[in-house]
This record gives sequence, structure tokens and C-alpha cells, in this order.
Amino acid sequence: MSLLSPGPGERRPFVLIQRGFCIMIKKMRRIVPVLLLSAWPMWGGTVYFSFNQHATENLFQTREAVSDQISAFTLAVDQDLSALSLLASASYSIFRETSGLSFLAADVGLDYLAPAGPKSAFYFAAGGSGQFYRQAYAPFSSVGADLLGAFKTYLAPSSILKIQWQGHYAVFRESLFDFLSQSASLSIDKYFPSRTTLKADAAWGYKYFLHPFLPEPIEAQTEPLLASGGGTGGQGQGSSSGGLGGQRYQGGSGFIPRYNSGGGGSGIGNVSVSLLAAQGLGDVVGLSASAVRQWIVTGENPFQSIEEFYLVQNPSADAFSWDGHQLNARLTLALPWEISVKSGYTYSDKTYPGVDSMSLDGVPLGSVRNDRRDLVETRLQKDFRRFSVFIAYSYVDNSSTDPLFEWKSHYVMGGFEWNLPTARKGGV
Amino acid sequence: MRPTIAALSVVALLASVPAAGQTPARFYNVDTEVRIEGTIREIVLEPRYKGTAPFLVLRVEERGGARSFDVEIAPSWFFGQDVHGGERVEIVGSLAEVPGQAPTIIARELRYRGEIFKLRDKRGFPNWQGGSRAKRGIRRFGST
Repeated sequence: MSLLSPGPGERRPFVLIQRGFCIMIKKMRRIVPVLLLSAWPMWGGTVYFSFNQHATENLFQTREAVSDQISAFTLAVDQDLSALSLLASASYSIFRETSGLSFLAADVGLDYLAPAGPKSAFYFAAGGSGQFYRQAYAPFSSVGADLLGAFKTYLAPSSILKIQWQGHYAVFRESLFDFLSQSASLSIDKYFPSRTTLKADAAWGYKYFLHPFLPEPIEAQTEPLLASGGGTGGQGQGSSSGGLGGQRYQGGSGFIPRYNSGGGGSGIGNVSVSLLAAQGLGDVVGLSASAVRQWIVTGENPFQSIEEFYLVQNPSADAFSWDGHQLNARLTLALPWEISVKSGYTYSDKTYPGVDSMSLDGVPLGSVRNDRRDLVETRLQKDFRRFSVFIAYSYVDNSSTDPLFEWKSHYVMGGFEWNLPTARKGGV
Repeated sequence: MRPTIAALSVVALLASVPAAGQTPARFYNVDTEVRIEGTIREIVLEPRYKGTAPFLVLRVEERGGARSFDVEIAPSWFFGQDVHGGERVEIVGSLAEVPGQAPTIIARELRYRGEIFKLRDKRGFPNWQGGSRAKRGIRRFGST
């Protein structure tokens, strides 16, 4: 279905937004870059450009590995107006093989920093964002709004207390994913003369899917919904079914919604605690280790099966969806010639309440899905006079009680980041 | 090139000229660039320049206790990074000395905990962007 041709029942706001966006792009594609890149300095703003190239062996992160290469371009501008900072960014990610996943993302927002004495400050931010996908992945397209409030104070020069609240609202073209979420956290840390930093963090989060269920079909479903582990490589039947807000989701192979004649929403809430210890060794080496334990304390995931693509927002799987723990170790090296190295290892054990482990034929196995993942990653960066370049490598080994999500993958990335020369603002 | 584009380019070029000519009271001077190592003794959030948010300023005692400096970091760093008193840092920046005031270093590069933080490019143009507005939670391996 064409993006510009609304089908029966298709969500009107998205059609209008995308139609307007296409027209705007055609008219402004030559004018906007010229204005942004050269007029912005007059106002003392910052212009930032980056290009990242990714290669993955497993885009959809299932046992049916599909390789792809992704090129991501980002242009961002930032403008200070006293304590207020205005931000806008746009990025375009091009998927070479799975072109339907190519997407445009845009953010606008503002920050406000309000000092509360020399040692404390409040921070407020508000913003809007949108992601617009093509073709089969158009159901992932979304617009959203964020609010953030935070307070930070130095209890002593070596100890920091932070409190933060964040709310997010998002509307997707596939209305099953629409949600409202909020989270709050409290952290305190202490730096010791031995060059050791200890940090403790407690957090609470709640995500409410506004209408995550399909209406019961008129005729009873006699065949199990198909989790297409049988080789569609992420392009399969998935959970597609008519009436998904007028949009058929034909994306990945792992997502399966539930039927519920009562409709309504569904919430999932968690609490978590984390501890971090960091140690500096000499002037070159930094070490850190952290542990996170998260509990689901109310509700469960509303979907029968969830999926997690690489480099794409995953509306059915995120930080709210799991119960379990995560361990991380990290090494940083600040080397001569402006070279830095960061390496890390992460182990996670996550259970997804409400999500079924299923056979490759789509039959529930009678257990809640549990994933155990090993992640190794390293990044080498070299800073030049006006820009930075980096290469990075990651490896993931994911084992799961759902055989579709037994997978391994290598990832390679490279790119550069460039801050365009702009006006001499604040302190220059 | 279409006339519209050409006209816009000229306007944009002219618009950028005043920026290069701005002369704030204190600016990044590459000719006075210094490198110091020291220990953070105090951390404050101070208004520094008209038209910007307050800056995170570190009072740094040079190794050996010879001198102390006010080191200007960036407005967004107050929330973006957790810097502590007592931490050892290596700073590269432009030294500005004003009679009657503590010598000030406008930081370009900060090294601590085995990490390098680029605050400005080598000509002194700021690299920082906005505050700590949370980014969308897309996992990007390699961003460790």
C-alpha cells in the first residue's frame, strides 16, 4: 500500500503527516541544507553531522539470519538562548538489502537548565520525535512526545545525588503499539581518594499500551498463529491479520499479538536497583563493573511473542518488558595520539512475563520466554582536528527458551562525526 | 544553479560573516593553549557569558600545588557527566588571565578515568550539544 494512499481505516494523521512531509522534502531538499549549514553560525548555534556504516549478519535477530548493511546520516543543530537550549536533528538510515526498513527520524526539543545555587540545578526538557518507515515496516512509523525533569546536587564535592522523572507518549501507525510510559530514578554516588567511584541507583517504570489487543475474530481461530521460523528470514507472515488499525504488519517473524474481545489497555510496571563500581588505574586506564536487577511488579507484556530488530526501534520489546538481571564489565583506554579504546562485556538473563516460548511451528511450549545473552563489544576511536573516526565490533550470543530466538551474530561499524565550525559562543 | 539557490547561498554566506567577527570579552585563543594535570578541588555552576546557560566550572589545583585554575567546561556537562571533587584530571585549554581574578582555562579536552572528552575542536569551536535529553532507546552495539 502506498504511503500516500490511505486505505480503508488507515490512520489519517500519519497519512497527512507523511504526505506533507514528502511535499516538504521535495520543495526544501536543496534549500534547507544551505540555510542550516551557513546561516546557523550567525546565531551562535552548533551544527553536527555524522555518518555511520553498519554491517550485521542478523538484522532481525532470530535463528533465520538475514545480513544487511546500514548507512546512517545524522544532521543536528543546537541553539542556546540564555539558559534555554533548542535542539533539532534529522537522520536517515538506509538498509541496503531490506530497503523497507529504511527510515527517517526527526527530533525537536528544548532544554532548560535552572541553577539552584552553585552546587545544584534543575533540568527540564521537552521534545517531539517522529520515525517514518517505508513499505512493509510502515506500521513502525510513530510520532511521540517526551517530558523530562531532573534535579542534581553535590552533597559534597565527592558525592552526587540525582533524581529524574521522564514521561513518553507515542502513537504508531500500527495502533497496537501505542503507549504511554513514565519512569523515575534516584541515584547517589561517592568518589574515594583511591580513585574508586561507587554508585547506587533505584528506578521505577510503568508502560501502558493503550490498545494492544486484536478484536476476537468472528470465526474461532482454529490454527495456531504462525511464528515463521521456517525460513522467511524476517519477511514472513508474522502475525499479520486484517484490521490492525487498517495496517497489516508484515515485518518481522517474531511478533504475535493477542486477541481480546474486551479490548482495553494493558500495563506493565517494574522496579530496579543497580550498583556500579569504577576504578581509575594511572592516567590511561579506566575499569568499571555494574549489576542491574529488575523486577516486574505489576502487569505483564500484552503480546504473545515479541521481537527485537537491530538498529530499529522495537515497539514490543524494550526496557520495560523484562524481569531479570544484567552484569557489565567495561575497560577504557586513553592512548597517545588522540586514540581511545572502549571494550565491554555484558551478560543478561531476562524473562519476559506474558510472552510465551513457542515452537517453530507457532505452538506455545507452556513456558514463559527467557533469554540469556552474552555481548562483547569494542570500539576504537581516533580524533583528528575537526572530526573523529571510529570502528567498532560486537558479537552477540543469544540463547532462548523460544527456539526462534536462538541466534548469534557479528556486527561491524565504522563512521565519522564532524562538528561544523560555527560561531564562537559561550566561553570561546 | 537555479537563481533561487544562488541567491540563498549568497545570503547564507553573508549571514555567516558576522559570526566570524564576533569578539566576546574572553575567547578561545589557540596561542595561549596549555596542558595541565591536577586535582579537582571544587565544582560549581556559574553564569559566565551572556546568552548561555551557566557553565560547569572546576577549580583545579595543579599537580604539586603550584597553582590553581578555574576551568570552564560546558553548560550541558552539569547534567551530562558526573565529575567529582578529588578526581585527577588532565586538561588542555586556552589560558586567560584577568588581573584580580583566578586564572581561567577554557577547556578543549578533558582526560580522566581513562577517557578522553572532546569539548571543542582544535580551533576552540564548541563540540557540546544541548543537555542530557534522553535519546530514544534503540540499542546500538558498538556504542559502549
